[in-house]
Amino acid sequence: MAEMIVSKFFYKKEAAPLEYYKKNGNGYAALKKALAMKPDEVIAEVKKSNLRGRGGAGFPTGMKWSFIPKESKVPKYLVCNADESEPGTFKDRAIMTYSPHTMIEGMIIGCYAIGANKSYIYIRGEYVREAEYLEKALEEAYAAGMLGKNIMGSGFDCDMYVHRGAGAYICGEETGLLNSLEGKRGEPRVKPPFPAIKGAFGGPTIVNNVETLANIPWILNNGGEAFAKMGKYPNSGGTRLYCVSGHVNKPGIYEFECGKVTLRELIYDHCGGIRNGRKLKAVIPGGSSAPVLAAHELDIDLDVEPMMKAGTMLGSCGIIVIDDSWCAVKAIKRITHFYAHESCGQCTPCREGTRWLEDVLHRIEDGHGKEADLGLMLDVANNINGKTLCALGDAAAGPVLSFVQKFKHEFEEHIKGGKCPNA
Amino acid sequence: MPKCIIDGKELEFKPGEMVIQVADRNGVEIPRFCYHPALTVVAQCRMCAVEVEKMPKIQTACSLPATDGMIVHTKSAKVKAAQSSVMEFLLINHPLDCPICDEAGECTLQDYSFAYGSPDSRYEEHRRTYIDLDMGPVIKKNMNRCIHCTRCIRFCDEVGGFREMVALKRGNHTEITTVDGKPLETEYAGNLADICPTGSLTLVDFRFKKRSWFLKKANSVCQGCAQGCNIEVHQDNNTVYRHVPRENQDINKWWICDEGRFSFQFVNAETRVTEPVVRGEGKKIEISDWPSAVAEAKSKTKGKALVLVGNDLSNEEIRAIQAFTADKIKGADVFHYGTPGITKASDDKAEDKILRRTSKTSNLHGAEKLGLKGWDGSGKYESAIVFRGGRAAELTDLRKNVSGAIVGVGVFNQPAIDSYDVILPGLTYAEKSGTVVNWQGKEQKFNKAIEPVGQSRAVADVFALWS
Repeated sequence: MAEMIVSKFFYKKEAAPLEYYKKNGNGYAALKKALAMKPDEVIAEVKKSNLRGRGGAGFPTGMKWSFIPKESKVPKYLVCNADESEPGTFKDRAIMTYSPHTMIEGMIIGCYAIGANKSYIYIRGEYVREAEYLEKALEEAYAAGMLGKNIMGSGFDCDMYVHRGAGAYICGEETGLLNSLEGKRGEPRVKPPFPAIKGAFGGPTIVNNVETLANIPWILNNGGEAFAKMGKYPNSGGTRLYCVSGHVNKPGIYEFECGKVTLRELIYDHCGGIRNGRKLKAVIPGGSSAPVLAAHELDIDLDVEPMMKAGTMLGSCGIIVIDDSWCAVKAIKRITHFYAHESCGQCTPCREGTRWLEDVLHRIEDGHGKEADLGLMLDVANNINGKTLCALGDAAAGPVLSFVQKFKHEFEEHIKGGKCPNA
Repeated sequence: MPKCIIDGKELEFKPGEMVIQVADRNGVEIPRFCYHPALTVVAQCRMCAVEVEKMPKIQTACSLPATDGMIVHTKSAKVKAAQSSVMEFLLINHPLDCPICDEAGECTLQDYSFAYGSPDSRYEEHRRTYIDLDMGPVIKKNMNRCIHCTRCIRFCDEVGGFREMVALKRGNHTEITTVDGKPLETEYAGNLADICPTGSLTLVDFRFKKRSWFLKKANSVCQGCAQGCNIEVHQDNNTVYRHVPRENQDINKWWICDEGRFSFQFVNAETRVTEPVVRGEGKKIEISDWPSAVAEAKSKTKGKALVLVGNDLSNEEIRAIQAFTADKIKGADVFHYGTPGITKASDDKAEDKILRRTSKTSNLHGAEKLGLKGWDGSGKYESAIVFRGGRAAELTDLRKNVSGAIVGVGVFNQPAIDSYDVILPGLTYAEKSGTVVNWQGKEQKFNKAIEPVGQSRAVADVFALWS
């Protein structure tokens, strides 16, 4: 494995205190370095690093930061998206558990770069322990003068708050998150305006993922170029945390340089292959929103662009491995139930369509499917795909489209046999 | 000015305008449910889909800022497919109860279903149903018909002034309701029925009274206060069924208040006096005929007379009364009257931040412009004539000022007529045309909607009989 950036502290000390972070890492040296630079130079360094957002969309972080207007009459904000609600994803939790200070340091640097004096960590409601760890880490940072007024004598002020969500998947979508942060219903907003122009409380706002921010201190310490050098593809630097779950022998979080490992290598070489000697059926590679891959489609480099070329997405790197003991219809029914349950209900195709898909899948799984159902599902999914207010619609439609296309025979067996063949 | 191209037509726009606004201004029809020019854009219904060249995805015209040179298609195959898919989604849970729905005939969902939807449904699953809460005396909710456009929520927030309606739960179970299920408090609740694109919110008052396609419409001006909101009067068989606001950006935008909306009820009320009546021998009020009632009125109007002109009458009527009084009732004191406590134009104030005025009559400002002074309730007279259009106060204690006969000309009701000696029934705003002046000084014409009820006659006809 290459030099570990983010997982360096993993599984060593839970809620690692500031002292531990200082002793075993560089402990806020990156912040010191950043505060000696001009904000623009910090952004330039991050741009140089080719760091892409780790939340799912893979947008270049430096470019996102540069969208924030220099002058603003209203306060600017940096918000850390710690909602980590994508099924199959659990990397951010590990960062917040084992090295909360890495992320907090990255956030303070981000605040300095964009000129924000207030910052929020929006953490999913279920992460109770992690929220406590973060609160404790913030206390330590305030006590050590890394937060508050005049940080390290630089004249830069920054306050940071932990805000706990109430358990909605949609609050991981950045504008839904901002609405929830403001105390409103967690519903995505119409874009434009984008958060960089009008975000939290009407101010220019950057929303970054936990892992993205946890990479920032390393970039400042070692330089953007060193970060950009890592990884197989030129426009994607650094490492990524791959969360592997499901029917493998060694599930867990694996850190590799971007794109330097293929899906096959990850599953068979690093995760010990499929458990109980069974055969692989399918892999959902980027959190449950990503279109599914069949067992023969594993030779893809795990990076944003190769995955896109393969018709799926790297997303949040939540890799869910499914073996042949599981029925494809049951799997997609479960995923579709999730999206129907989590749809905010604002826009028509998602509100009505996700539930319709779930009902049809339910019928097929129960043995009451009809031949016309497959065409109907494809149609309904296509009518959701790309036609909704936010990405949840695509996230619900993509998996259905790919499951029906790749495991069509299983759906047909259900319909013809009048029951689930595995049941 | 920058230009964009919609359906091949080059159209100018102001920077910042959305495509739907440019289309609306130029008569290009783009269907919509959630968009309303008065409310925030939410782009939720997805019905206003358009195709834009160089953009891979379908866009929503309500949230798409027009840019110079943008090429927009509103009728392409891709757009039609998107619109029909939205219609399919909206109709899978919508009950097919148009035959018993008050909205039918003027329902956006019904119209669009015909224009953009499919005659068949592929939906075979269970339909979503809700249990409805009482929303108060004005609005009846039927959540099963709701398409979640949230216009009502935004109306309460942004126009009504306070948050009364909310969305509860989420996803497919989202329910639009009032905060804590309380009845609506806003004085503008009727507008919710107007902006609701389906029969989800309908008027309690209009419920099951009339199919909308039977209604004939006349452009009118609301007589409920000095604001002069523009309305349509809807009638059938000479009965007024409702008032509906007409857009006028200078006066009432798209709205009217509930008081004005339901201020038509006296027109066809059973208590309205529509036959001439006189106080007979036994001191009892009795139905008479026009010639004898006018003769009675004429003979009893003598000595020092008080003439009170309701400022709920039109300019034309007030002028006729002024001419008549000067000619026939010499030496009379002529005043206008209307809302208790308001005797001059400067007493009329805004009652809230939206539309309502404290003068509850429509032509206070016009009456004053025509040279009339407001009556302060003082003076001793031997007889009196009271002209009333239907909204001015019903003067029931004139006896303390008047020793002789009191004649009422115009719209009077039981039991107020017990305080009068002769009633010559006149016309309401719905039975005549005329001009009123609102508080801004705007002269507005209202039109006759129905024929006079019973034996009611115009003021001019009364004067013709008098002389």
